[in-house]
Amino acid sequence: MAKRDAPALSESKPAKLRARAAWANPELLPVAVVLACAALLIIATKILNPGSSLTQQLSAVLVTSIFLVIASFGQGLTILLGGIDLSIGVVAGLSAMMISVLTDGQNAALPWAVPATLAFCGAIGMINGLGIALFKVPPFIMTLASGITFFGVGLGFTSGLAQQPVAPALQALMSGYWLGVPIPIYLIVGFVIIAATFQNGTAEGRQLYAIGSSPQAALVFGLPISGLTILAYALSGLCAGICGLLLAGYSSAATLDIGDPLLLPTIAAVVIGGARVVGGKGIYVGTFAGAIFLSALETIITVLSLSQGLRNIIEGVIIVGALLLQSERWGALRRWSH
Amino acid sequence: MNSLPRRIEALPRSLLYCAGVLALMGGLARPTSAEAENYKVFLDLSYSGNVWQTAAANGIKALAGTPPYDKTVEFKTVISGTDVQHQISDLQSMIAAGANAILFYPVSGTGLNRVIEQGCKHNVLMFAYDSTVTAPCAYNVSSLSGRYGANSAQWMVNEMGGKGEMVINHGVAGTALTDLMDRQALGVFKRYPGIKIVGDFYGNWNDATSQENTAKVLAAHPNIDAIWTVDGTYGSLQAVKDHRPDRLVVIAGQSNNGYRLDIGNQAMQTKGLKGLSASFGPADGPYAFKVMMEVLTGKLKLTAHNVEYPLPWVPYNEIKLCTGLAFENGCNTFPEDKVPALFIDTALNGDLLPELNLTAVQNGTAMSGATIKPLPAVTYADSLPGVNCTDCKPPADWLEPNRVKPIPVPN
Amino acid sequence: MMSLATRLRPARGAAIAVLIYLAMYFVYAISEASATSVFAITNLLDNTIVLAVAAAGLTLVVLTGELDLSAIGVIAIANVVVATTSAGVLGWFGSLVAVMLIGAAVGLINGWLVVGLGLQSLAVTIGTMIACEGVALVILAAPGGEVSDTIANGLTGDIANVVPVAAVIIIGVLALWFVFARTRLGIAIYAVGSDENAAGLSGLNVRRTKLLAFVLAGVAYGCAGYLLSAQTGSGDPRASNTFLLFMYAAVAIGGTSLTGGRGGVFGSVVGAGILTVMQKMLFALGAASFYTNVFSGIIMLVALFVGNLSGLRLRRQRGAEWQSATPRP
Repeated sequence: MAKRDAPALSESKPAKLRARAAWANPELLPVAVVLACAALLIIATKILNPGSSLTQQLSAVLVTSIFLVIASFGQGLTILLGGIDLSIGVVAGLSAMMISVLTDGQNAALPWAVPATLAFCGAIGMINGLGIALFKVPPFIMTLASGITFFGVGLGFTSGLAQQPVAPALQALMSGYWLGVPIPIYLIVGFVIIAATFQNGTAEGRQLYAIGSSPQAALVFGLPISGLTILAYALSGLCAGICGLLLAGYSSAATLDIGDPLLLPTIAAVVIGGARVVGGKGIYVGTFAGAIFLSALETIITVLSLSQGLRNIIEGVIIVGALLLQSERWGALRRWSH
Repeated sequence: MNSLPRRIEALPRSLLYCAGVLALMGGLARPTSAEAENYKVFLDLSYSGNVWQTAAANGIKALAGTPPYDKTVEFKTVISGTDVQHQISDLQSMIAAGANAILFYPVSGTGLNRVIEQGCKHNVLMFAYDSTVTAPCAYNVSSLSGRYGANSAQWMVNEMGGKGEMVINHGVAGTALTDLMDRQALGVFKRYPGIKIVGDFYGNWNDATSQENTAKVLAAHPNIDAIWTVDGTYGSLQAVKDHRPDRLVVIAGQSNNGYRLDIGNQAMQTKGLKGLSASFGPADGPYAFKVMMEVLTGKLKLTAHNVEYPLPWVPYNEIKLCTGLAFENGCNTFPEDKVPALFIDTALNGDLLPELNLTAVQNGTAMSGATIKPLPAVTYADSLPGVNCTDCKPPADWLEPNRVKPIPVPN
Repeated sequence: MMSLATRLRPARGAAIAVLIYLAMYFVYAISEASATSVFAITNLLDNTIVLAVAAAGLTLVVLTGELDLSAIGVIAIANVVVATTSAGVLGWFGSLVAVMLIGAAVGLINGWLVVGLGLQSLAVTIGTMIACEGVALVILAAPGGEVSDTIANGLTGDIANVVPVAAVIIIGVLALWFVFARTRLGIAIYAVGSDENAAGLSGLNVRRTKLLAFVLAGVAYGCAGYLLSAQTGSGDPRASNTFLLFMYAAVAIGGTSLTGGRGGVFGSVVGAGILTVMQKMLFALGAASFYTNVFSGIIMLVALFVGNLSGLRLRRQRGAEWQSATPRP
């Protein structure tokens, strides 16, 4: 705690200014670098497979990235506060199970089942936030423990597989097209606009930056730290919930473990996007770029036909490489602009 | 804030109170009707929360609650998770608690060997189901002799006419099972120069992951003709149906009900879907339980440690819809409204496990009116070094198909 | 600088952790008659040491204010290296040296990327973790190999049927820690984690301190992998992600602040003990299978909450001490 006091106090003013000017700010440069890396990966896939079409590739990368794009927004908010949310995978799994059980394959039930499911997921997030803000439990442990606990509860109620089918409308949402473009791509565009506006364009968003860069200063300014912390974790739960709904629709069946593979990539997406783990820095567009990058990386690794060991090595090295690119090359410029 | 230090001083005492209460609960939780129960049997699950594991566990629980075992067996289930240390610790606890037999899904094929030997020394029957262990004193109940990898690959080659582009959906990297199935399948595919493997990924036996990865491969290789899987089959086919609804594929893999309905669907067959529903069935778990109980009660003497559970095998032209809640009269698939799409049909087995019906494997409760029937004679599985034994000789043709006749290599 | 005596006194959080451990062990011992036998205690300690040694290494990095996820990757490599070499070319000692060197090398890479190139430790170590898991898979594609009997039996048994070897190892780790914490590097790790700027201004080499913390942590992970091999007697290239989460839980429950500067290895070792004995206790209490998850989660929170109550007070004291103790340039 003490470690951030001294530098943070003197930094808080520029931090606020920086957040306000997020749209026209040097942080966009590393974002561009990450997006360029993703584009390179997609083009490389195309070169390796001359028979494929670039638009198809792009659409596959985007559609399969939707889960990461949405879940890592919530992860990004908690990291912005210097925290972390390790319950994301479990919450997504619970959401997928709950929507199946509540709708029982009926579209008619969706209007109330969707809000109910999302409210439940938001509530789990809120419990995380309460523990962190009021009882001062470290976020790492709070969200790890609540994830383990709620997984146990879910297992007790459902034994792992929803016995009901997923409502057809949700399935259609994830596999449908509109004007020749997959519907999930519209969803991504809509979500990115809303998320980026919230994080970088509203008073609440700016206050999150202020808390993240210096809790002490935020206290002095009279910001509602507890309230905002709870809000951030509730939103993270909500995003994981949305992600679970979409996963259920995409796979047209729900299992409790459906969200598990998401957890680590959400953290990776946020930090590759330029966020600082101790909080106070990072814009959502960066997280978005990180998510697209990871999705593209997985695509090229899938079509490379290597042993899993080599795949892992390449993946790890490329992640570190992306970090290097976005931190070093633009580091001088960023220092200069401050 | 002033009261904080005092609260801290009081903590040690309150902790002791809590401990006392918990200890009391522990005392109450102990079984009271010990005289009626002859055997202490444990089920140790590794991962819990996916379809396969749940179906297997429910079948075992249902059997443990079926007469006469409901009276003669004190049965307890523990979930150990994916961490080998945790499973070692739980197995040790079971041995220390005086288990007579332990049925477990091993997290690691070799990492549990030391604790398994501990168990054997304490005269505990150690039975592994589906996944196998190499400890010589353990019993493995698996479908390895069914040679899923070689047979399913040969079946696909035959359906493809020996040529075409295909994708491999491996299971979980670093497991003995994935390694073995890959060796068998790739051995077959390599024999046909017309077969081109254009992409492969590790679907982790998970449908959502398999679907995402198949979608990505399809974008890079729009013309694939076939997908070979061990599990995650339903997800893989789903991706093809989403992206190329008019041109489906030859596919082999797991037995999810939704997948069986698809491959049995005439309309989809005319669009090129030719599917095989085989792979490892969750009923292996309950079958292992029955074998273990017969050994424990002295009804059965095993002459070898590797028992074979017959590999399920239902090609698209043998799909038959059921009317009731059990597989009777040769039916093998439920209508859409009876079970969720991911329900694995091979959780049931009418011949070997007549004690189980759909509700039993869905809820883990015994079928009303059922009693445990004696098993037909068991068959033994091949010994495969590094898979289910250490110092042993495999059959000479263990990588070759033994159920499907190979077609000649086309010119 | 703060007086040595104050700094070496185990933190209040660690003291609470010891109480929690004793309470859980008490419950376990009451409900399971065989719990106090040498056999049961050996088993319990055997289960603890891998987590304890790994968490001890992680603690060093966490104390400097950084995070490290590479542990499970290093443990996986160490395990497959021991399984492929200890019964053959390298022998028990050679393979121990090898895994320590591998751990040190990974730690060096992590440290260099973090302090040399200014990358974020959490992100970097996600990358190195994935890459290390890949290396483990390249070395051994499926479970197998053989761990030499010297390791497998030597590290898991009892000395003269009275003292479990694991107990000796734990005491050794703690002794090492108490010596290490008095060294210049040990003191620097706390100083850097408490206030990087102040530590730098007072003449400590912040970068070198962090780099060494990563290297030592890597060595500890290597040793943890060695101990794991002793228990499993074989190699398995997959290490579980849940193990990583439990490492962090052990560190946090032991009273070490995940933002650095506060806590210590002693607490983490006790934290690892709590997580292990918790499993035994829940088993002995006969908790139904899926509830073990629920209980694990809740117990973790309670342990942390209890630790925190004392932590709040402690932090205030510590904060005040640092204010006056940090020399001004």
